[in-house]
Amino acid sequence: MNNKTLLKQGAEARLFKADFYGRPCIVKERFKKNYRHPTLDNTLTAQRLKSEVRANLRCRMAGILTPTVYMVNFENSSIYMELVDDAITVREHIAGVQEQDRSTANDVLKPLAVKIGQTLSKMHENNIIHGDLTTSNMLLKGEPSDVKLLLIDFGLSSFEASAEDKGVDLYVLERAFLSSHPNTQQLFDCILKSYRESTKNKKSCAEIISKLDEVRLRGRKRTMVG
Amino acid sequence: MAAYIKVPHTLYPDKTITVALYRNVSCKELRKSVMSGAIEVSLLKTSMVIDEFQVLVAANKALHLQHAGTMMTKNVHSEILFCLSPSKNISESFQSFGAADSDTNVVVAIADDQDDERLDKVSEILGKSPVALTELSELADTKLITKAYKVSADELNSYDLRDAVVSRISAKEIITAGKGKV
Ligand SMILES: Nc1ncnc2c1ncn2[C@@H]1O[C@H](COP(=O)(O)OP(=O)(O)OP(=O)(O)O)[C@@H](O)[C@H]1O
Ligand SMILES: [Mg+2]
Repeated sequence: MNNKTLLKQGAEARLFKADFYGRPCIVKERFKKNYRHPTLDNTLTAQRLKSEVRANLRCRMAGILTPTVYMVNFENSSIYMELVDDAITVREHIAGVQEQDRSTANDVLKPLAVKIGQTLSKMHENNIIHGDLTTSNMLLKGEPSDVKLLLIDFGLSSFEASAEDKGVDLYVLERAFLSSHPNTQQLFDCILKSYRESTKNKKSCAEIISKLDEVRLRGRKRTMVG
Repeated sequence: MAAYIKVPHTLYPDKTITVALYRNVSCKELRKSVMSGAIEVSLLKTSMVIDEFQVLVAANKALHLQHAGTMMTKNVHSEILFCLSPSKNISESFQSFGAADSDTNVVVAIADDQDDERLDKVSEILGKSPVALTELSELADTKLITKAYKVSADELNSYDLRDAVVSRISAKEIITAGKGKV
């Protein structure tokens, strides 16, 4: 009944596909890192596990889609969650669209950029910092006419009200975005525009964007030196 | 086909979980047998149960905590009840999720019922056989469930109630800050 099949072996976790009382599920199991001190390793792993589950729930309570959690096993640091049916990552989706026709890709992807901006705005309005925003940590499901965006992989998340943390969160996404997808600065600007338009508190939004600019500048200096 | 379900635990296949629904019965005598310890089962309020999956998630967790030695209540059947409830308060959980003497419908959850011995005993005491679990949806009080698990309108816009409830059961000790072991 409970055949686990390995889907992905990552740096921190293994992902399996399994069955949970008749429902297809994903088992995300964080494994031991032998180079870390065992006590530190256990603490870190438990923290990531808790952060992941907590942010998943907080997002969903705010109306942001996340996979349903079926079980948390602290014994082996694993989470059982809903397998999102026929989902593809935003990363795969962008690559696919770009492959079809590079010249129109940014236009085709614009509605998705708007949706990402709205979702991240809602997440930050609820003081949830994702901590690892990449296009692999966003899933798409459903019909192309009514596509749904889900957020996953909250192991590095935290709860912070500060503009600095939110700005850094956006910076992490910008770096991941531009390095995974060539010629997408325009698309990323579209995400930011939608983020700004969706965020109700304009003053705090302006602070977040100015933090983003600050971090960008620091990042650039660092690359010039290093 | 039997009306109830009996499935192996997802982590410990030699342990089983049984879920059964009884309708138009009197719970009084059965509750007395459970309270006195004569029969070890968990009696759940049908109004608080959307479907059997919700019960399976709670029972799955209770059996896991029993195995890990981290139960919050005294036995696995009280733990099923406690796991089902979003509250950290044990007596409050029993109050709102446990069947009452006056209830005329009841969900019975049993851990490790060898040869269906305890289920048969329950049927005998109630003088009825279990009915199809699909009838749970007629008995669920979705308003009450929404309130008990504090599911917001925002969340119901994007999810069905069952998924909202299931996530809260699985993540209870993580999302409920403060006291309690994790
Ligand atoms: N619930 C899910 N349903 C469908 N696919 C999923 C689900 N969770 C993860 N995936 C797929 O597995 C990939 C890896 O998952 P995830 O990002 O959670 O792990 P990870 O990146 O290895 O984690 P970590 O960053 O903690 O090492 C995702 O990019 C996605 O393609
Ligand atoms: Mg990831």
